[in-house]
Amino acid sequence: MRTNNIFNHKKLMFLFLIGSIGFTGCKKFLDINQNPNNPDSADPSLLLPTVQAADGQIVGNAFQVLGNIYAEYWTQSPSASQYKVVEQYVQANSYYDRVWNTIYRNALVNAQLIINNKGAGLEYTKGMAYVLKAYTYQVATDAFGDIPLTQALQGNAYGSPKYDTQQAVYDSVFNYIDKGIALLNTKTSVSPGNQDLIFKGDVSKWIAFANTLKLRAYLRISYKDAAKAKAGIAALYQTNPTFVAQDAAIQYSTVGGNENPFYNEMVGLGKTQNVVASGTAVLALKSNNDPRLRKLYNKVPSDNTPAGDTIAYILQGTYQQNPTKKVSFPTPLVAGDANDPASATVPVKLISLSESYFLQAEAVARGFAVGDATALFKSGVTTSFTATGLTAADANTYLASAPDANIAGAVSLEDKIKIIITQKYYAMNGLQGFEAWTEYRRTGYPTFLVVSKASLLGAGLMPQRFIYPNSEVTTNLSYPGTVPVTTPLWWDTTN
Amino acid sequence: MKHKLLRIFMVCFFCSASMAFAQNKTITGTVTAREDGLPIPGATVKLQGTTTGAQTNANGKYSLSVPAGSKLAFSFIGYTTQIITVGAQTTIDVTLVSDAKALSEVVVTANAIVREKRSLGYSAPTVKADELTEGGSASAISALTGRVAGVNITSTSASPGSSSRIVLRGGSSISGNNQALMVVDGLPIDNSSITGGADSRSSVDFGNRGNDINPDDIASITVLKGPAAAALYGSRASNGALIITTKSGKKNTEKTSINFNSQNTFSSILKLPDLQNEYGQGYYDDPTANPVTYINDPRENGSWGAPFTGVVQPWGQEIDGVQQTKAYSAVKNNLKDFFTTGYAADNNLSFSGGSDKSTFFLGLNALNSNGILPGNSDSYNKYGVRFNGNTDFSNKFSAGISINYSNVSNSQAAGGQNASSVYNNLLQTPRDIPISQLQDLTNKYNGYGYTDANGIAHPNSYGYYGAYVLNPYFVLQNFKNLSNVNRVTGNVNLGYKPLNWLNITERIGVDNISDRRRFITPKYNFVPADTESGNYSAADRQTNVGAYQIDQYNITEFVHDLMVTASHKFNEDFQGSFMVGNNIRQRGTSTTQTSTNTSGGLVVPGWYNLANSNGPVNVITDNISKRRLVGLYADLNLSYKSLIFLEGTARNDWSSTLPVQNNSFFYPSVSGSFVFSELLKSTSLANVLSYGKLRSSWAQVGNDTDPYQLLSTFARTTINGSFGSTTFPFGSVPALQAGTTIGNINLKPEKTSSFEIGTELGFFNNRISADFSYYKNKSKNQILTIPIPNSTGYGFALINAGELQNKGVEVSLRGTVVKTENFSWDLFATYTKNNSEVISLLPGIDQISLGGFGGMGIVAAVGKPYGEFYAVTNQKDSQGRTVINPNTGLPVATSSAQYLGSYNPNYQASFGTSVKFKQLSLNVLFDTKQGGKLYSRTKDITGFNGTSAETGGPRFGVPFPNSSYLKDGVYVPNTDVTYVKQDLYTGGVNPGVDIIDASYVKLRSAALSYTFTKSQLRGTPFGALTIGLYGNNLFLWTSKENKFVDPEVNSSGAGNAQGFDFSSQPSVRNYGIDLKVSF
Repeated sequence: MRTNNIFNHKKLMFLFLIGSIGFTGCKKFLDINQNPNNPDSADPSLLLPTVQAADGQIVGNAFQVLGNIYAEYWTQSPSASQYKVVEQYVQANSYYDRVWNTIYRNALVNAQLIINNKGAGLEYTKGMAYVLKAYTYQVATDAFGDIPLTQALQGNAYGSPKYDTQQAVYDSVFNYIDKGIALLNTKTSVSPGNQDLIFKGDVSKWIAFANTLKLRAYLRISYKDAAKAKAGIAALYQTNPTFVAQDAAIQYSTVGGNENPFYNEMVGLGKTQNVVASGTAVLALKSNNDPRLRKLYNKVPSDNTPAGDTIAYILQGTYQQNPTKKVSFPTPLVAGDANDPASATVPVKLISLSESYFLQAEAVARGFAVGDATALFKSGVTTSFTATGLTAADANTYLASAPDANIAGAVSLEDKIKIIITQKYYAMNGLQGFEAWTEYRRTGYPTFLVVSKASLLGAGLMPQRFIYPNSEVTTNLSYPGTVPVTTPLWWDTTN
Repeated sequence: MKHKLLRIFMVCFFCSASMAFAQNKTITGTVTAREDGLPIPGATVKLQGTTTGAQTNANGKYSLSVPAGSKLAFSFIGYTTQIITVGAQTTIDVTLVSDAKALSEVVVTANAIVREKRSLGYSAPTVKADELTEGGSASAISALTGRVAGVNITSTSASPGSSSRIVLRGGSSISGNNQALMVVDGLPIDNSSITGGADSRSSVDFGNRGNDINPDDIASITVLKGPAAAALYGSRASNGALIITTKSGKKNTEKTSINFNSQNTFSSILKLPDLQNEYGQGYYDDPTANPVTYINDPRENGSWGAPFTGVVQPWGQEIDGVQQTKAYSAVKNNLKDFFTTGYAADNNLSFSGGSDKSTFFLGLNALNSNGILPGNSDSYNKYGVRFNGNTDFSNKFSAGISINYSNVSNSQAAGGQNASSVYNNLLQTPRDIPISQLQDLTNKYNGYGYTDANGIAHPNSYGYYGAYVLNPYFVLQNFKNLSNVNRVTGNVNLGYKPLNWLNITERIGVDNISDRRRFITPKYNFVPADTESGNYSAADRQTNVGAYQIDQYNITEFVHDLMVTASHKFNEDFQGSFMVGNNIRQRGTSTTQTSTNTSGGLVVPGWYNLANSNGPVNVITDNISKRRLVGLYADLNLSYKSLIFLEGTARNDWSSTLPVQNNSFFYPSVSGSFVFSELLKSTSLANVLSYGKLRSSWAQVGNDTDPYQLLSTFARTTINGSFGSTTFPFGSVPALQAGTTIGNINLKPEKTSSFEIGTELGFFNNRISADFSYYKNKSKNQILTIPIPNSTGYGFALINAGELQNKGVEVSLRGTVVKTENFSWDLFATYTKNNSEVISLLPGIDQISLGGFGGMGIVAAVGKPYGEFYAVTNQKDSQGRTVINPNTGLPVATSSAQYLGSYNPNYQASFGTSVKFKQLSLNVLFDTKQGGKLYSRTKDITGFNGTSAETGGPRFGVPFPNSSYLKDGVYVPNTDVTYVKQDLYTGGVNPGVDIIDASYVKLRSAALSYTFTKSQLRGTPFGALTIGLYGNNLFLWTSKENKFVDPEVNSSGAGNAQGFDFSSQPSVRNYGIDLKVSF
């Protein structure tokens, strides 16, 4: 090492001399600007897991917190403060900087780079990238409404991408899904294999995922544009679609940096338990005598009373009024216990199996598709039970007795939708909070959500969207202005 | 030509030889200065018309053998030459008078070239050693504050080792480096600053590398403000340069001069936020009840509780069945009492001397300081050795060496908003908590882990009252941010003067820095000791997985300069010189940052080693870089009498960092000076105007960029959440992602052009002198790394864009009010006004973002000054009233960001006075900056916590001051809708509200010293002795709306994102006593 250094000095001195005498060696002397630290190209198979892990962070962390609080499964703990602003319904623009960054710079741009790649044998990888792009855009527009799309992801070509309407974004989502499915149907191509964190390169599962996503997206616009939703779903069913037969999920491990993103976030926050059981969800589960209650929330620490075997909650947003109350936490089953490492290995569900059944049940109930809505509904409830470690028998007991599961008693379409969405709400507790809140905004179900006690919005108002990030406010010259959190989204006709 | 010169040479030689045979006698004597009567060592005594001469020794004595009747010339720099004809006497004592006309005042300019000040076509003020050291500042840069017009210095905390940023004439670059180049003895040195921590929000100020220079080693600093002055340094000097000349020995000294200087400095906190003293710990229960009910939650960090009652009541945890009690009243000085008095000992010992051929200077320096935080967690220890030596060889060669080694070990507390930020934890102390009494961590109510009365250990329990913040004393003891720097800077130069008119100089320098940093975060898991009262729950745990991080930074820079100078005297009046040179430099860096697994942390608590990582070690950064630059330059100087001087320079650079097709860039400069007072010499006007000079210059400087900026790249995937992150490899799956910045393969060099005109005037035998400058700088084709919307898919783009203009005036005045033998009184003042304006950016784009944090953006917008705050703020109606939401009474946010002012001051000024009475001397210096803005997180967090003064007063039942709301399409004054203060401040204040006026006036420095006379020292071993009291950063007056922070505090240290107080370490006032002795 040392001799090497001396040699370099000598070499340098020699080069100095050359430089002083003339510039014959100058060109070579100055040709040292190749970056030794970072590659300037990347194989699509290396970009694919980036897109997936980014979606894992979006749905499994940032939107997980916001969604589970706005869906009122969880509420801010009286013993901490991190999500008080969420409960107050009023956040600064900068609150959304991080997740917007993850959406565009981790998920979408890398999906786009896969799609742009000119290499051979990339049909499957590109198909997955299209489906993930559609998935990400849908999540983003369901959060923020109008967002950059046509001019987005093009670097300097559009330095200030304009905002497209949510309607246009949805049109693009359908388009991307179609392109993805077409590519995934390619006869011969190369699977990315284990570089695919979701389905390990299984193309048929990706097609099922794409179909389910399409169903989700059409149903989302069903109130705003029923004809389009109906036509789109009918066309989908024409293709004899498969739907997901297992959760579309990313599996995490206990290795540092590879844990469930929300658990990893809690570790970063010093394992502070910020989220606790909300009265909204707990009371609803209790009133249906739902055995999932004890799977989703832990018992209050028994140091309070020897018989501490209750699920204790506080009402949504009442952290200030209950400073010393001992409250149940979400369990490690939903990655909600900051101090139980079992939370680390919990998957992030992009679309769950039970959600798939509920989507199909709704499509059939609405007459957009043909099938047995009740059977699909019951499969939705049953798979939700089994996903929490309960049995099909437990589900049957519940289906037979729970008022909120009484599909047989639902006469009108609206009654059926109410039951289906309310059960979907129960099924999404903890792991699909954002989707549950989004479906609440779409349908108004379940009906038992309340205004957070900590709200600073004014009487009766609830958030209907997230506000644009500060990074766009200060850098995007096409910034359309901050839309208030109380303004409903385009597809939201319930207000 | 050559022969002619040779002939002259021969004649001279024979002349002097023949003189030796004439009738000679030996003359001895002493040369003294009239001002102080002290001997002048190193003065020249020369036999007129010959090369025969001698120099005075350390005692001002000389001895010379000369023929009778000859004429002797006594000269010394800065003094009028005296000519005395040798008569019968053998002793000639001469008293030299300082040259009031500053005729021979010399200035060290670019490439260590010494020039007469009068010949310069640009402003180049020089600050001498005594001015630099009189305030006792440990940083040579911050010691310049207020000394020179046109210089904007921001010293963060003013404690030893903290950052100082120096910008000359406004920033020329929008997002690049704006600081002046530092040059020591001809060698440009590194003045980078790498802030510890991820960004300004968790910053650890390890200072800037310019701090490594020991102020006591410095003989003078010349400030070359504009590109004209610095054009020869090329690219790096587009922001001007500080030409630092270190001390050297004097020739022909009889004995080695030994100087010892010891400074003992004490520091105390300068400014803390103004706090309310009405409400204590807790928060409201029911704001609609009458009276309002409160919850006195003992875990709280907020002061939103009930009004103080003074009643003794329990507080904190109940441990072993006992809860402490105290009066429920404000502890007014609870923050102030936390801080202790800092102490720094700065000792300098130097040896210097010289023979007739050689000189040397050896300086030793030790600076040991412990800052104002309790304990020794904020310490700064610097040891330095400097050796300067020069020798003239008989064969027309001369050689010199200048070498400096320094070792700096630095331990600093983190600022910002993280758990490890001491100040952040401290600021979040309720007004009734006596924080300074919670220092004893063995006390079970203060600490973490305790043993109860029965001898049972509770290692996992904590007794501290706060559940959301840590005891700052615990943080100080357990979180460490350490840096150890080893640095060698030096150059060797070789001069060869083959002919009288030809001079060849070769200089090779190296600057080698190694900075090894270690960051220690303890691993702990504590639950409240209180399981009885029900006030605390197991959920109130304090947990950290622990971390250990090592950052290693290496910088190696080589510089070579070869200069060939030819000078020629065309006739008595007309002279010229021409220099051509070659410059090559190479800068290599390597950076590695490695930490234990981010979420796994440490396995074993207390063992800080990467081998103790719980999970894979996290490689944060592993980078190397190398850049080279080759330059060719030429410099032509012409002078006519001492009346007119002209200079032209030209330089071409080739840079490795630019694309091959654009990597060569050429830039010229011209400057001139016209000493018009020479024409008035014989007129009566000369009695009034003793010196007058007009100067002007125009110059251009090119600039390159950092290495590896041309191509977009990919990086290993890390997907960040807000506090956690998903990192790859994911299991065994590797991944890459698009890099942050879009590269630019067509990058062009930047060009800064500047025009300057100025005058220097001296009146009444220079008792009053004035210096005015007007300048206009334009930077074009700026290389900018600009934040772009993330919706583009990228975070930053590298572009060539923009034209930024800085124009301004600089005025310095100096006057002697009284001057008698025993008493003198001098005044001086400077005034600087710089207007920066963004002229253009990109085609079709009139605004770009420069950076920002916490909802606050800083932008460059066409027509606005560089660095404008841009943020969402409270909406105002047309009458300036705050618009509120009539449902809640709370202010409504603007739907888009607003321009909220620039951090650049409107003007800055300084005023100093110096009084000497016999051996006593007093120097005082004030400086001010007026009109800039500052974002204060200290304001934000003390508002959030309900401790700042503005959260005092009525908290319920009153409308927001001067507010209105929209009713039927018009804004009506709000007299009825009330708001809840706690909801406003804890619900997230709009970031624009935290922008405050950064204006200030500071008593920058003051010094009182007493110098003993020779007669007083007779019989002692001392040659000279001075004792003094001094202080710097002594008093601060801020604007009315700044009740929070010293506006100079800056979280990004010396970085470009200025104007951010992110609850970084508060600044200090320094004062002390010093002793200067020479033997």
